[in-house]
Amino acid sequence: MSDYELLPESPLGGVEIELDGFNITEVTDKSLVMVALPRDKYSDIESSIDKSCGLKLPEMEHSTESKDSSITLWRLQKNQVLAYFTYEGHDAESHLSSQLNAPAYYTDQSDTWAMIRVSGNRSRDVLERICPIDLSPEVFSVGRVSRTIMEHIGTIIFRDGDDSYVLLTMRSFGRSMLHAIEVSADNVL
Amino acid sequence: MIINHPLLGPRDSEEFVYLGSTDLINRPTNWEDEASAEDFYQYQYIRDNIAGDHQELWYHEQGDQSWLVVSRNTLTHEITNVELAQDVARTMGRGK
Repeated sequence: MSDYELLPESPLGGVEIELDGFNITEVTDKSLVMVALPRDKYSDIESSIDKSCGLKLPEMEHSTESKDSSITLWRLQKNQVLAYFTYEGHDAESHLSSQLNAPAYYTDQSDTWAMIRVSGNRSRDVLERICPIDLSPEVFSVGRVSRTIMEHIGTIIFRDGDDSYVLLTMRSFGRSMLHAIEVSADNVL
Repeated sequence: MIINHPLLGPRDSEEFVYLGSTDLINRPTNWEDEASAEDFYQYQYIRDNIAGDHQELWYHEQGDQSWLVVSRNTLTHEITNVELAQDVARTMGRGK
């Protein structure tokens, strides 16, 4: 029997593209865990995550950050939050649950999403052609997050800086999303 | 068409999936009863074909996965009201 050595690979192979005023990079240093909030534990969770990490539960389509900025919570639904945090290991779920130390339900989603960061002063010009939500800087301010559809692909968009956005699509759609961004960049730049 | 989501604000209807009349919330609860066949027949198949204000169920599939009750005029497509289906169902005395 042959000896196989299997190596983990990110959904887009660590893609990095630099254009004039616009950069595309795959995000590979983050993990994602869904944190479901049972209705009767809501206030318990609120006080536990505040105590453990200095985190608040965000308002709909907003985000909050832990004291050390390593964990970001996204509120895309009423009864759950998505945790986006710095972690590259293979057990994101227990890593996060031990950090938050709150009576919620955790589901690891790290490997199911492709994460692409688009940045640069032309990023909004490229995105506005494929994104149906209003991205004007004062409406979609830094820290805002939304789930929508771009080029028929379900996408989460998170603004993590003045000219920086993270786009998440299901892993199997990663290449299609990258293509959509490249085509839009081609049309605009 | 823009649907003014009660939690998320105005969103493109492309993000939503249409199901049908809000009557679908009122599924008969007497399924153990022999006479329930007629009720289920009415529930499943018999609809008014309204030309005017219509209450309908929309699902925000490419968004927060909530069910909405949208009041839409079927002649003009004007949307006059949008509520969470969860709240509407509770006021009808359904669910917890």
